[in-house]
Amino acid sequence: MEEEEDQSLSFSEVVEEQQGQRGSEEENVVQFLDSLDSYLTLFDSLSSTLRQGWLELASARHSMGVSRINGTLLDLKPHSAATTLQVSEPDVDYMVGQPHFKLSKWASSNNENCCFGEEKIREDKLQTKSDSPQLRNRSQFSGTPATNGASLIVDDQVSVSQALMFSYNKEVQKERSKSLSMFGTLVSPKLRSAQLSFETALETLVEIANMRSTMFSTSDQIRKEMAGPRDDNKRYCIAEEVCD
Amino acid sequence: MYGFEALTFNVDGGYLEAIVRGHRAGLLTASDYNNLCQCENLDDIKMHLSATEYGSYLQNEPSPLHTTTIVEKCTLKLVDEYKHMLCQATEPLSTFLEYITYGHMIDNVVLIVTGTLHERDVHELLEKCHPLGMFDSIATLAVAQNMRELYRLVLVDTPLAPYFSECITSEDLDDMNIEIMRNTLYKAYLEDFYRFCQKLGGATSEIMSDLLSFEADRRAVNITINSIGTELTRDDRRKLYSNFGLLYPYGHEELAVCEDIDQVRGVMEKYPPYQSIFAKMSYGESQMLDKAFYEEEVKRLCLAFEQQFHYAVFFAYMRLREQEIRNLMWISECVAQNQKSRVHDSVVFIF
Repeated sequence: MEEEEDQSLSFSEVVEEQQGQRGSEEENVVQFLDSLDSYLTLFDSLSSTLRQGWLELASARHSMGVSRINGTLLDLKPHSAATTLQVSEPDVDYMVGQPHFKLSKWASSNNENCCFGEEKIREDKLQTKSDSPQLRNRSQFSGTPATNGASLIVDDQVSVSQALMFSYNKEVQKERSKSLSMFGTLVSPKLRSAQLSFETALETLVEIANMRSTMFSTSDQIRKEMAGPRDDNKRYCIAEEVCD
Repeated sequence: MYGFEALTFNVDGGYLEAIVRGHRAGLLTASDYNNLCQCENLDDIKMHLSATEYGSYLQNEPSPLHTTTIVEKCTLKLVDEYKHMLCQATEPLSTFLEYITYGHMIDNVVLIVTGTLHERDVHELLEKCHPLGMFDSIATLAVAQNMRELYRLVLVDTPLAPYFSECITSEDLDDMNIEIMRNTLYKAYLEDFYRFCQKLGGATSEIMSDLLSFEADRRAVNITINSIGTELTRDDRRKLYSNFGLLYPYGHEELAVCEDIDQVRGVMEKYPPYQSIFAKMSYGESQMLDKAFYEEEVKRLCLAFEQQFHYAVFFAYMRLREQEIRNLMWISECVAQNQKSRVHDSVVFIF
Protein backbone atom coordinates (compact mmCIF):
# COMPACT_ATOMS: atom_id res chain seq x y z
CA MET A 1 0.00 0.00 0.00
CA GLU A 2 2.71 2.36 1.04
CA GLU A 3 4.70 1.36 -1.97
CA GLU A 4 1.72 2.10 -4.20
CA GLU A 5 1.29 5.48 -2.50
CA ASP A 6 5.01 6.19 -2.96
CA GLN A 7 4.77 5.21 -6.63
CA SER A 8 1.70 7.41 -7.25
CA LEU A 9 3.38 10.26 -5.41
CA SER A 10 6.48 9.96 -7.51
CA PHE A 11 4.28 9.81 -10.62
CA SER A 12 2.43 12.97 -9.64
CA GLU A 13 5.71 14.60 -8.77
CA VAL A 14 7.00 13.74 -12.21
CA VAL A 15 3.85 15.13 -13.81
CA GLU A 16 4.14 18.32 -11.77
CA GLU A 17 7.77 18.63 -12.64
CA GLN A 18 6.96 18.16 -16.29
CA GLN A 19 4.26 20.81 -16.11
CA GLY A 20 6.68 23.11 -14.33
CA GLN A 21 9.29 22.52 -16.96
CA ARG A 22 6.80 23.15 -19.75
CA GLY A 23 5.85 26.40 -18.01
CA SER A 24 9.48 27.44 -17.81
CA GLU A 25 10.01 26.47 -21.47
CA GLU A 26 7.07 28.60 -22.53
CA GLU A 27 8.40 31.41 -20.42
CA ASN A 28 11.76 31.15 -22.18
CA VAL A 29 10.10 31.09 -25.58
CA VAL A 30 8.08 34.19 -24.69
CA GLN A 31 11.23 35.87 -23.43
CA PHE A 32 13.05 34.97 -26.63
CA LEU A 33 10.25 36.37 -28.78
CA ASP A 34 10.11 39.53 -26.64
CA SER A 35 13.83 40.07 -26.98
CA LEU A 36 13.63 39.44 -30.74
CA ASP A 37 10.85 42.00 -31.05
CA SER A 38 12.84 44.53 -29.00
CA TYR A 39 15.93 43.80 -31.11
CA LEU A 40 14.08 44.55 -34.34
CA THR A 41 12.46 47.66 -32.87
CA LEU A 42 15.85 48.90 -31.69
CA PHE A 43 17.27 48.35 -35.18
CA ASP A 44 14.51 50.48 -36.70
CA SER A 45 15.12 53.13 -34.09
CA LEU A 46 18.87 53.08 -34.81
CA SER A 47 18.27 53.42 -38.53
CA SER A 48 16.00 56.45 -38.15
CA THR A 49 18.29 58.09 -35.55
CA LEU A 50 21.30 57.72 -37.85
CA ARG A 51 19.36 59.11 -40.81
CA GLN A 52 18.35 62.08 -38.68
CA GLY A 53 21.95 62.57 -37.54
CA TRP A 54 23.42 62.52 -41.03
CA LEU A 55 20.84 64.99 -42.29
CA GLU A 56 21.48 67.30 -39.37
CA LEU A 57 25.20 67.15 -40.08
CA ALA A 58 24.54 68.08 -43.71
CA SER A 59 22.29 70.88 -42.49
CA ALA A 60 25.03 72.16 -40.18
CA ARG A 61 27.48 72.08 -43.08
CA HIS A 62 25.00 74.01 -45.21
CA SER A 63 24.58 76.58 -42.44
CA MET A 64 28.18 77.01 -41.27
CA GLY A 65 29.94 76.45 -44.58
CA VAL A 66 31.99 73.67 -46.09
CA SER A 67 35.29 75.07 -44.77
CA ARG A 68 34.07 74.93 -41.17
CA ILE A 69 32.79 71.36 -41.19
CA ASN A 70 34.94 68.86 -43.03
CA GLY A 71 37.09 65.85 -42.31
CA THR A 72 40.38 67.75 -42.39
CA LEU A 73 39.51 69.50 -39.12
CA LEU A 74 39.34 66.27 -37.12
CA ASP A 75 41.92 66.25 -34.36
CA LEU A 76 44.73 63.75 -34.91
CA LYS A 77 46.51 64.54 -31.63
CA PRO A 78 46.38 61.72 -29.08
CA HIS A 79 43.60 62.30 -26.60
CA SER A 80 41.55 60.16 -24.25
CA ALA A 81 38.24 58.71 -25.35
CA ALA A 82 35.21 60.78 -24.45
CA THR A 83 33.05 57.65 -24.24
CA THR A 84 34.06 54.11 -23.29
CA LEU A 85 32.38 50.74 -23.49
CA GLN A 86 32.72 48.26 -20.64
CA VAL A 87 32.12 44.60 -21.32
CA SER A 88 31.41 42.46 -18.28
CA GLU A 89 32.23 38.81 -18.85
CA PRO A 90 29.44 36.27 -18.22
CA ASP A 91 29.31 35.01 -14.65
CA VAL A 92 29.66 31.24 -14.44
CA ASP A 93 27.38 31.06 -11.41
CA TYR A 94 24.81 33.29 -13.03
CA MET A 95 22.04 31.36 -14.74
CA VAL A 96 21.98 33.56 -17.81
CA GLY A 97 25.63 33.47 -18.90
CA GLN A 98 25.90 36.40 -21.28
CA PRO A 99 28.28 39.34 -21.65
CA HIS A 100 26.81 42.68 -20.67
CA PHE A 101 27.73 45.97 -22.36
CA LYS A 102 27.73 49.27 -20.53
CA LEU A 103 28.44 52.70 -21.95
CA SER A 104 30.29 55.33 -19.92
CA LYS A 105 29.57 58.61 -21.65
CA TRP A 106 31.64 61.76 -21.52
CA ALA A 107 34.28 60.34 -19.19
CA SER A 108 37.56 62.03 -20.13
CA SER A 109 40.77 61.81 -18.11
CA ASN A 110 40.37 65.47 -17.14
CA ASN A 111 36.96 64.82 -15.75
CA GLU A 112 36.89 61.32 -14.29
CA ASN A 113 34.08 62.23 -11.91
CA CYS A 114 31.77 62.87 -14.83
CA CYS A 115 30.87 59.28 -15.58
CA PHE A 116 30.32 58.50 -11.93
CA GLY A 117 28.19 61.54 -11.37
CA GLU A 118 25.09 59.80 -12.57
CA GLU A 119 25.64 56.86 -10.20
CA LYS A 120 26.24 59.24 -7.32
CA ILE A 121 23.01 61.06 -8.03
CA ARG A 122 21.16 57.76 -8.28
CA GLU A 123 22.71 56.66 -4.98
CA ASP A 124 21.62 59.90 -3.38
CA LYS A 125 18.13 59.50 -4.76
CA LEU A 126 17.96 55.93 -3.47
CA GLN A 127 19.22 57.12 -0.12
CA THR A 128 16.56 59.82 -0.12
CA LYS A 129 13.89 57.27 -0.91
CA SER A 130 15.18 54.85 1.69
CA ASP A 131 15.52 57.57 4.33
CA SER A 132 12.21 59.29 3.77
CA PRO A 133 9.89 56.36 4.69
CA GLN A 134 11.75 56.06 8.01
CA LEU A 135 11.37 59.78 8.54
CA ARG A 136 7.72 59.53 7.70
CA ASN A 137 7.34 56.67 10.20
CA ARG A 138 9.09 58.68 12.86
CA SER A 139 6.88 61.66 12.13
CA GLN A 140 3.75 59.58 12.63
CA PHE A 141 4.69 59.02 16.27
CA SER A 142 6.49 62.19 17.16
CA GLY A 143 3.99 64.92 16.20
CA THR A 144 4.08 68.17 14.22
CA PRO A 145 7.53 69.70 14.92
CA ALA A 146 9.27 66.46 13.96
CA THR A 147 7.12 66.30 10.81
CA ASN A 148 8.24 69.78 9.78
CA GLY A 149 11.86 68.92 10.57
CA ALA A 150 11.58 65.64 8.68
CA SER A 151 10.04 67.28 5.61
CA LEU A 152 12.78 69.94 5.68
CA ILE A 153 15.42 67.22 5.75
CA VAL A 154 13.70 65.49 2.82
CA ASP A 155 13.51 68.78 0.91
CA ASP A 156 17.20 69.42 1.58
CA GLN A 157 18.16 65.99 0.28
CA VAL A 158 16.01 66.44 -2.82
CA SER A 159 17.54 69.85 -3.52
CA VAL A 160 21.06 68.42 -3.00
CA SER A 161 20.37 65.68 -5.52
CA GLN A 162 18.88 68.24 -7.90
CA ALA A 163 22.00 70.38 -7.51
CA LEU A 164 24.15 67.32 -8.19
CA MET A 165 22.09 66.53 -11.28
CA PHE A 166 22.47 70.14 -12.43
CA SER A 167 26.24 70.07 -11.98
CA TYR A 168 26.38 66.69 -13.75
CA ASN A 169 24.38 68.06 -16.68
CA LYS A 170 26.68 71.07 -16.79
CA GLU A 171 29.75 68.82 -16.92
CA VAL A 172 28.19 66.72 -19.66
CA GLN A 173 27.41 69.89 -21.63
CA LYS A 174 31.02 70.98 -21.21
CA GLU A 175 32.30 67.65 -22.49
CA ARG A 176 29.93 67.83 -25.45
CA SER A 177 31.19 71.32 -26.33
CA LYS A 178 34.78 70.13 -25.94
CA SER A 179 34.29 67.35 -28.45
CA LEU A 180 32.70 69.80 -30.92
CA SER A 181 35.46 72.36 -30.44
CA MET A 182 37.43 70.96 -33.38
CA PHE A 183 34.85 72.69 -35.58
CA GLY A 184 35.09 75.91 -33.58
CA THR A 185 33.65 77.06 -30.27
CA LEU A 186 30.69 78.95 -31.77
CA VAL A 187 28.94 76.20 -33.67
CA SER A 188 25.43 76.09 -35.04
CA PRO A 189 22.64 74.45 -32.96
CA LYS A 190 22.22 72.08 -35.92
CA LEU A 191 25.67 70.62 -35.27
CA ARG A 192 24.78 70.14 -31.59
CA SER A 193 21.58 68.35 -32.66
CA ALA A 194 23.61 66.09 -34.93
CA GLN A 195 25.89 65.30 -31.99
CA LEU A 196 22.90 64.38 -29.83
CA SER A 197 21.51 62.15 -32.58
CA PHE A 198 24.77 60.26 -32.91
CA GLU A 199 25.01 60.00 -29.13
CA THR A 200 21.52 58.46 -29.05
CA ALA A 201 22.53 56.11 -31.87
CA LEU A 202 25.52 54.95 -29.81
CA GLU A 203 23.29 54.23 -26.81
CA THR A 204 20.90 52.32 -29.07
CA LEU A 205 23.80 50.25 -30.42
CA VAL A 206 24.75 49.21 -26.88
CA GLU A 207 21.12 48.32 -26.16
CA ILE A 208 21.07 46.25 -29.35
CA ALA A 209 24.24 44.44 -28.24
CA ASN A 210 22.70 43.67 -24.83
CA MET A 211 19.41 42.58 -26.41
CA ARG A 212 21.28 40.33 -28.83
CA SER A 213 23.18 38.82 -25.94
CA THR A 214 19.87 38.13 -24.14
CA MET A 215 18.45 36.59 -27.29
CA PHE A 216 21.37 34.21 -27.67
CA SER A 217 21.25 33.12 -24.06
CA THR A 218 17.47 32.45 -24.10
CA SER A 219 17.89 30.64 -27.41
CA ASP A 220 20.58 28.44 -25.80
CA GLN A 221 18.32 27.74 -22.85
CA ILE A 222 15.45 26.75 -25.12
CA ARG A 223 17.72 24.41 -27.04
CA LYS A 224 18.90 22.81 -23.81
CA GLU A 225 15.34 22.38 -22.65
CA MET A 226 14.34 20.82 -25.95
CA ALA A 227 17.14 18.31 -25.52
CA GLY A 228 15.97 17.78 -21.90
CA PRO A 229 12.48 16.12 -22.38
CA ARG A 230 14.08 12.74 -23.44
CA ASP A 231 15.34 12.38 -19.85
CA ASP A 232 11.85 13.25 -18.58
CA ASN A 233 10.27 10.61 -20.80
CA LYS A 234 12.73 8.07 -19.47
CA ARG A 235 11.83 9.03 -15.93
CA TYR A 236 8.14 8.74 -16.85
CA CYS A 237 8.71 5.28 -18.23
CA ILE A 238 10.55 4.33 -15.09
CA ALA A 239 7.66 5.78 -13.10
CA GLU A 240 5.19 3.73 -15.20
CA GLU A 241 7.19 0.60 -14.64
CA VAL A 242 7.19 1.37 -10.98
CA CYS A 243 3.43 1.91 -11.07
CA ASP A 244 3.00 -1.37 -12.89
CA MET B 1 27.22 113.15 -57.18
CA TYR B 2 24.30 110.73 -56.70
CA GLY B 3 22.02 110.54 -59.72
CA PHE B 4 24.65 111.41 -62.30
CA GLU B 5 26.37 108.04 -62.48
CA ALA B 6 24.77 107.46 -65.89
CA LEU B 7 27.08 110.09 -67.37
CA THR B 8 30.35 108.41 -66.48
CA PHE B 9 29.81 104.90 -65.15
CA ASN B 10 29.84 103.11 -68.51
CA VAL B 11 33.26 104.50 -69.37
CA ASP B 12 34.98 102.07 -66.99
CA GLY B 13 32.23 99.88 -65.64
CA GLY B 14 29.75 99.48 -68.49
CA TYR B 15 31.25 96.35 -70.00
CA LEU B 16 31.54 94.53 -66.68
CA GLU B 17 28.05 95.54 -65.58
CA ALA B 18 26.73 94.05 -68.81
CA ILE B 19 28.77 90.91 -68.19
CA VAL B 20 27.47 90.48 -64.67
CA ARG B 21 23.89 91.05 -65.77
CA GLY B 22 24.40 88.37 -68.40
CA HIS B 23 25.76 86.00 -65.75
CA ARG B 24 22.73 86.77 -63.58
CA ALA B 25 20.46 85.54 -66.36
CA GLY B 26 22.20 82.17 -66.07
CA LEU B 27 21.15 81.59 -62.46
CA LEU B 28 18.99 78.50 -61.96
CA THR B 29 15.23 79.04 -62.01
CA ALA B 30 12.45 77.44 -60.00
CA SER B 31 11.79 74.88 -62.76
CA ASP B 32 15.48 73.87 -62.71
CA TYR B 33 15.25 73.34 -58.95
CA ASN B 34 12.02 71.33 -59.35
CA ASN B 35 13.75 69.03 -61.81
CA LEU B 36 16.76 68.68 -59.55
CA CYS B 37 14.60 67.91 -56.51
CA GLN B 38 13.07 64.97 -58.35
CA CYS B 39 16.40 63.29 -59.15
CA GLU B 40 16.94 59.79 -57.85
CA ASN B 41 20.72 59.90 -57.59
CA LEU B 42 23.70 62.19 -58.11
CA ASP B 43 24.19 61.07 -61.72
CA ASP B 44 20.68 62.34 -62.45
CA ILE B 45 21.65 65.68 -60.92
CA LYS B 46 24.74 65.77 -63.13
CA MET B 47 22.55 65.04 -66.16
CA HIS B 48 20.16 67.89 -65.30
CA LEU B 49 23.02 70.28 -64.65
CA SER B 50 24.60 69.42 -68.00
CA ALA B 51 21.85 71.52 -69.62
CA THR B 52 22.84 74.53 -67.49
CA GLU B 53 26.01 76.66 -67.37
CA TYR B 54 27.54 74.08 -65.00
CA GLY B 55 27.47 71.45 -67.72
CA SER B 56 31.01 71.93 -68.99
CA TYR B 57 32.41 71.78 -65.44
CA LEU B 58 30.74 68.49 -64.55
CA GLN B 59 30.79 66.61 -67.82
CA ASN B 60 34.20 64.98 -67.27
CA GLU B 61 33.56 63.87 -63.72
CA PRO B 62 33.41 60.09 -63.45
CA SER B 63 30.69 58.18 -61.64
CA PRO B 64 30.03 57.66 -58.82
CA LEU B 65 29.78 61.33 -58.05
CA HIS B 66 30.12 62.77 -54.58
CA THR B 67 28.33 65.84 -53.23
CA THR B 68 31.65 67.56 -52.53
CA THR B 69 32.63 67.11 -56.20
CA ILE B 70 29.47 68.85 -57.37
CA VAL B 71 30.12 71.75 -54.96
CA GLU B 72 33.79 72.02 -56.00
CA LYS B 73 33.02 72.14 -59.72
CA CYS B 74 30.21 74.65 -59.33
CA THR B 75 32.54 76.81 -57.22
CA LEU B 76 35.18 76.61 -59.95
CA LYS B 77 32.70 78.15 -62.38
CA LEU B 78 32.12 81.05 -59.99
CA VAL B 79 35.87 81.52 -59.55
CA ASP B 80 36.43 81.63 -63.31
CA GLU B 81 33.74 84.25 -63.74
CA TYR B 82 35.14 86.31 -60.87
CA LYS B 83 38.70 86.18 -62.20
CA HIS B 84 37.52 87.29 -65.63
CA MET B 85 35.73 90.28 -64.11
CA LEU B 86 38.68 91.12 -61.83
CA CYS B 87 41.22 91.15 -64.63
CA GLN B 88 38.98 93.47 -66.69
CA ALA B 89 38.22 95.84 -63.82
CA THR B 90 39.85 99.19 -63.13
CA GLU B 91 39.96 101.12 -59.89
CA PRO B 92 37.92 101.45 -57.78
CA LEU B 93 35.94 98.46 -59.06
CA SER B 94 38.96 96.16 -58.80
CA THR B 95 39.36 97.01 -55.10
CA PHE B 96 35.63 96.51 -54.61
CA LEU B 97 35.84 93.06 -56.23
CA GLU B 98 38.82 92.16 -54.03
CA TYR B 99 36.89 93.15 -50.92
CA ILE B 100 34.27 90.54 -51.83
CA THR B 101 36.86 87.77 -51.38
CA TYR B 102 38.33 88.82 -48.02
CA GLY B 103 35.69 86.83 -46.15
CA HIS B 104 36.88 83.67 -47.87
CA MET B 105 40.47 84.62 -47.10
CA ILE B 106 39.64 84.80 -43.40
CA ASP B 107 37.94 81.39 -43.57
CA ASN B 108 41.01 79.91 -45.26
CA VAL B 109 43.39 81.36 -42.66
CA VAL B 110 41.30 79.90 -39.84
CA LEU B 111 41.07 76.55 -41.64
CA ILE B 112 44.85 76.29 -42.01
CA VAL B 113 45.54 77.41 -38.44
CA THR B 114 42.91 75.07 -36.94
CA GLY B 115 44.02 72.14 -39.05
CA THR B 116 47.66 72.71 -38.08
CA LEU B 117 46.66 72.82 -34.42
CA HIS B 118 45.04 69.41 -34.96
CA GLU B 119 48.26 68.08 -36.56
CA ARG B 120 46.83 67.78 -40.07
CA ASP B 121 48.94 67.84 -43.20
CA VAL B 122 49.07 71.31 -44.73
CA HIS B 123 48.58 69.99 -48.28
CA GLU B 124 45.38 68.29 -47.21
CA LEU B 125 44.20 71.59 -45.74
CA LEU B 126 45.11 73.60 -48.83
CA GLU B 127 42.86 71.35 -50.92
CA LYS B 128 39.93 72.29 -48.72
CA CYS B 129 40.54 76.05 -48.93
CA HIS B 130 38.09 78.17 -50.88
CA PRO B 131 39.73 79.18 -54.19
CA LEU B 132 38.49 82.76 -53.91
CA GLY B 133 40.39 83.20 -50.66
CA MET B 134 43.81 81.94 -51.74
CA PHE B 135 46.96 84.06 -51.51
CA ASP B 136 50.63 83.32 -52.14
CA SER B 137 51.98 82.75 -48.65
CA ILE B 138 48.99 80.83 -47.30
CA ALA B 139 50.94 77.59 -46.83
CA THR B 140 53.38 79.25 -44.39
CA LEU B 141 50.51 79.80 -41.95
CA ALA B 142 51.26 76.32 -40.63
CA VAL B 143 54.51 77.58 -39.08
CA ALA B 144 52.96 80.14 -36.69
CA GLN B 145 52.53 79.27 -33.00
CA ASN B 146 50.64 82.36 -31.87
CA MET B 147 48.85 85.33 -33.40
CA ARG B 148 51.85 87.61 -33.22
CA GLU B 149 53.86 85.14 -35.36
CA LEU B 150 50.86 84.65 -37.63
CA TYR B 151 50.81 88.35 -38.33
CA ARG B 152 54.59 88.89 -38.51
CA LEU B 153 55.45 85.90 -40.69
CA VAL B 154 52.53 85.73 -43.07
CA LEU B 155 49.65 88.12 -42.83
CA VAL B 156 51.53 91.41 -42.71
CA ASP B 157 51.80 91.32 -46.52
CA THR B 158 48.20 90.35 -47.15
CA PRO B 159 45.05 92.46 -47.37
CA LEU B 160 44.05 91.09 -43.93
CA ALA B 161 46.94 92.86 -42.18
CA PRO B 162 44.94 95.97 -41.17
CA TYR B 163 42.34 93.74 -39.51
CA PHE B 164 44.82 92.18 -37.14
CA SER B 165 45.43 95.15 -34.91
CA GLU B 166 42.66 94.11 -32.50
CA CYS B 167 43.72 90.52 -32.10
CA ILE B 168 47.50 90.53 -31.94
CA THR B 169 48.53 88.76 -28.76
CA SER B 170 51.27 86.39 -27.79
CA GLU B 171 48.77 83.85 -26.52
CA ASP B 172 49.07 80.45 -28.04
CA LEU B 173 46.51 79.55 -30.62
CA ASP B 174 43.79 77.34 -29.18
CA ASP B 175 40.18 76.66 -30.21
CA MET B 176 38.66 79.57 -28.30
CA ASN B 177 41.31 82.07 -29.38
CA ILE B 178 40.97 80.96 -33.00
CA GLU B 179 37.20 81.44 -32.86
CA ILE B 180 37.60 84.91 -31.39
CA MET B 181 40.24 85.69 -34.01
CA ARG B 182 37.88 84.57 -36.80
CA ASN B 183 35.03 86.72 -35.61
CA THR B 184 37.22 89.72 -34.79
CA LEU B 185 38.80 89.61 -38.26
CA TYR B 186 35.41 89.30 -39.92
CA LYS B 187 34.06 92.21 -37.89
CA ALA B 188 37.03 94.39 -38.90
CA TYR B 189 36.63 93.34 -42.54
CA LEU B 190 32.92 94.17 -42.64
CA GLU B 191 33.48 97.57 -41.05
CA ASP B 192 36.31 98.34 -43.50
CA PHE B 193 34.19 97.24 -46.48
CA TYR B 194 31.34 99.41 -45.19
CA ARG B 195 33.62 102.47 -44.93
CA PHE B 196 35.00 101.84 -48.42
CA CYS B 197 31.47 101.70 -49.90
CA GLN B 198 30.53 104.89 -48.04
CA LYS B 199 33.54 106.61 -49.67
CA LEU B 200 32.42 105.46 -53.12
CA GLY B 201 29.13 107.23 -52.59
CA GLY B 202 26.11 107.24 -54.89
CA ALA B 203 23.95 104.18 -55.53
CA THR B 204 26.83 101.87 -54.57
CA SER B 205 26.98 103.38 -51.10
CA GLU B 206 23.22 103.31 -50.61
CA ILE B 207 22.66 99.73 -51.76
CA MET B 208 25.81 98.27 -50.23
CA SER B 209 25.06 99.95 -46.88
CA ASP B 210 21.76 98.11 -46.78
CA LEU B 211 23.32 94.78 -47.79
CA LEU B 212 26.27 95.03 -45.41
CA SER B 213 24.07 96.20 -42.53
CA PHE B 214 21.91 93.13 -43.03
CA GLU B 215 25.04 90.99 -43.04
CA ALA B 216 26.26 92.59 -39.80
CA ASP B 217 22.88 92.08 -38.12
CA ARG B 218 22.66 88.48 -39.23
CA ARG B 219 26.16 87.87 -37.87
CA ALA B 220 25.18 89.37 -34.55
CA VAL B 221 22.17 87.04 -34.28
CA ASN B 222 24.20 83.98 -35.26
CA ILE B 223 26.99 84.80 -32.82
CA THR B 224 24.39 85.21 -30.06
CA ILE B 225 22.61 81.94 -30.79
CA ASN B 226 25.81 79.96 -31.30
CA SER B 227 27.34 81.27 -28.06
CA ILE B 228 24.37 80.33 -25.87
CA GLY B 229 25.59 77.76 -23.34
CA THR B 230 29.28 78.28 -24.16
CA GLU B 231 32.08 79.84 -22.15
CA LEU B 232 31.99 83.07 -24.16
CA THR B 233 31.26 85.90 -21.72
CA ARG B 234 28.75 88.67 -22.41
CA ASP B 235 31.52 91.23 -22.82
CA ASP B 236 33.40 89.05 -25.30
CA ARG B 237 30.18 88.42 -27.19
CA ARG B 238 29.45 92.14 -27.35
CA LYS B 239 32.96 92.81 -28.72
CA LEU B 240 32.32 90.49 -31.69
CA TYR B 241 29.34 92.50 -32.97
CA SER B 242 30.04 94.98 -35.79
CA ASN B 243 29.76 98.70 -35.08
CA PHE B 244 27.13 99.38 -37.70
CA GLY B 245 23.80 97.98 -38.80
CA LEU B 246 20.21 98.35 -37.75
CA LEU B 247 20.84 96.63 -34.42
CA TYR B 248 23.75 98.91 -33.51
CA PRO B 249 23.99 99.95 -30.68
CA TYR B 250 20.86 99.22 -28.63
CA GLY B 251 20.01 95.89 -30.22
CA HIS B 252 23.54 94.70 -29.57
CA GLU B 253 23.26 95.61 -25.89
CA GLU B 254 20.12 93.51 -25.61
CA LEU B 255 21.49 90.61 -27.66
CA ALA B 256 24.64 90.46 -25.53
CA VAL B 257 22.60 89.37 -22.47
CA CYS B 258 20.32 86.85 -24.21
CA GLU B 259 20.44 83.34 -22.75
CA ASP B 260 18.05 81.51 -25.06
CA ILE B 261 16.45 81.71 -28.50
CA ASP B 262 13.19 83.17 -27.19
CA GLN B 263 15.03 86.14 -25.69
CA VAL B 264 16.77 86.66 -29.06
CA ARG B 265 13.34 86.61 -30.71
CA GLY B 266 12.10 89.18 -28.20
CA VAL B 267 14.94 91.53 -29.13
CA MET B 268 14.64 91.07 -32.91
CA GLU B 269 10.88 91.49 -33.06
CA LYS B 270 11.31 95.11 -32.01
CA TYR B 271 12.88 95.80 -35.43
CA PRO B 272 10.24 95.73 -38.23
CA PRO B 273 12.50 94.35 -40.99
CA TYR B 274 13.22 91.29 -38.83
CA GLN B 275 9.69 90.72 -37.54
CA SER B 276 8.74 88.80 -40.67
CA ILE B 277 11.80 86.56 -40.32
CA PHE B 278 11.01 85.54 -36.76
CA ALA B 279 7.29 85.31 -37.48
CA LYS B 280 8.03 82.25 -39.66
CA MET B 281 9.42 80.34 -36.66
CA SER B 282 7.63 78.86 -33.71
CA TYR B 283 8.76 79.57 -30.16
CA GLY B 284 11.91 77.79 -29.02
CA GLU B 285 12.78 76.78 -32.59
CA SER B 286 15.86 77.93 -34.46
CA GLN B 287 16.17 75.35 -37.24
CA MET B 288 14.41 77.47 -39.87
CA LEU B 289 16.18 80.69 -38.91
CA ASP B 290 19.00 80.21 -41.41
CA LYS B 291 16.58 79.68 -44.28
CA ALA B 292 14.54 82.70 -43.25
CA PHE B 293 17.66 84.89 -43.22
CA TYR B 294 18.81 83.51 -46.58
CA GLU B 295 15.40 84.24 -48.11
CA GLU B 296 15.52 87.82 -46.88
CA GLU B 297 19.08 88.21 -48.17
CA VAL B 298 18.14 86.86 -51.61
CA LYS B 299 15.25 89.31 -51.78
CA ARG B 300 17.57 92.24 -51.07
CA LEU B 301 20.24 90.97 -53.47
CA CYS B 302 17.72 90.64 -56.32
CA LEU B 303 16.55 94.22 -55.69
CA ALA B 304 20.14 95.41 -56.27
CA PHE B 305 19.71 94.59 -59.96
CA GLU B 306 16.77 96.99 -60.26
CA GLN B 307 19.18 99.95 -60.42
CA GLN B 308 21.99 100.56 -62.85
CA PHE B 309 25.42 102.17 -62.72
CA HIS B 310 26.61 100.91 -59.38
CA TYR B 311 28.95 98.23 -58.06
CA ALA B 312 26.49 96.47 -55.78
CA VAL B 313 25.39 94.27 -58.69
CA PHE B 314 28.78 92.54 -58.55
CA PHE B 315 28.44 91.84 -54.84
CA ALA B 316 24.85 90.72 -55.34
CA TYR B 317 25.77 88.37 -58.16
CA MET B 318 28.58 86.72 -56.19
CA ARG B 319 26.29 86.21 -53.21
CA LEU B 320 23.46 84.84 -55.37
CA ARG B 321 25.83 82.34 -56.97
CA GLU B 322 27.04 81.25 -53.54
CA GLN B 323 23.42 80.76 -52.52
CA GLU B 324 22.85 78.71 -55.65
CA ILE B 325 25.85 76.52 -54.81
CA ARG B 326 24.47 76.06 -51.27
CA ASN B 327 21.14 75.01 -52.81
CA LEU B 328 22.87 72.48 -55.06
CA MET B 329 24.84 71.13 -52.09
CA TRP B 330 21.65 70.67 -50.06
CA ILE B 331 19.74 69.02 -52.90
CA SER B 332 22.69 66.68 -53.56
CA GLU B 333 22.88 65.72 -49.88
CA CYS B 334 19.14 65.01 -49.69
CA VAL B 335 19.27 62.91 -52.86
CA ALA B 336 22.40 61.04 -51.74
CA GLN B 337 20.88 60.32 -48.30
CA ASN B 338 17.50 59.36 -49.80
CA GLN B 339 15.74 62.12 -47.88
CA LYS B 340 14.06 64.00 -50.71
CA SER B 341 11.12 64.90 -48.50
CA ARG B 342 13.44 67.26 -46.59
CA VAL B 343 14.84 68.99 -49.67
CA HIS B 344 12.65 72.08 -49.25
CA ASP B 345 13.91 72.64 -45.69
CA SER B 346 16.87 74.66 -46.92
CA VAL B 347 16.50 75.39 -50.65
CA VAL B 348 16.01 79.12 -51.30
CA PHE B 349 14.61 79.94 -54.71
CA ILE B 350 16.24 82.94 -56.34
CA PHE B 351 13.66 83.60 -59.05
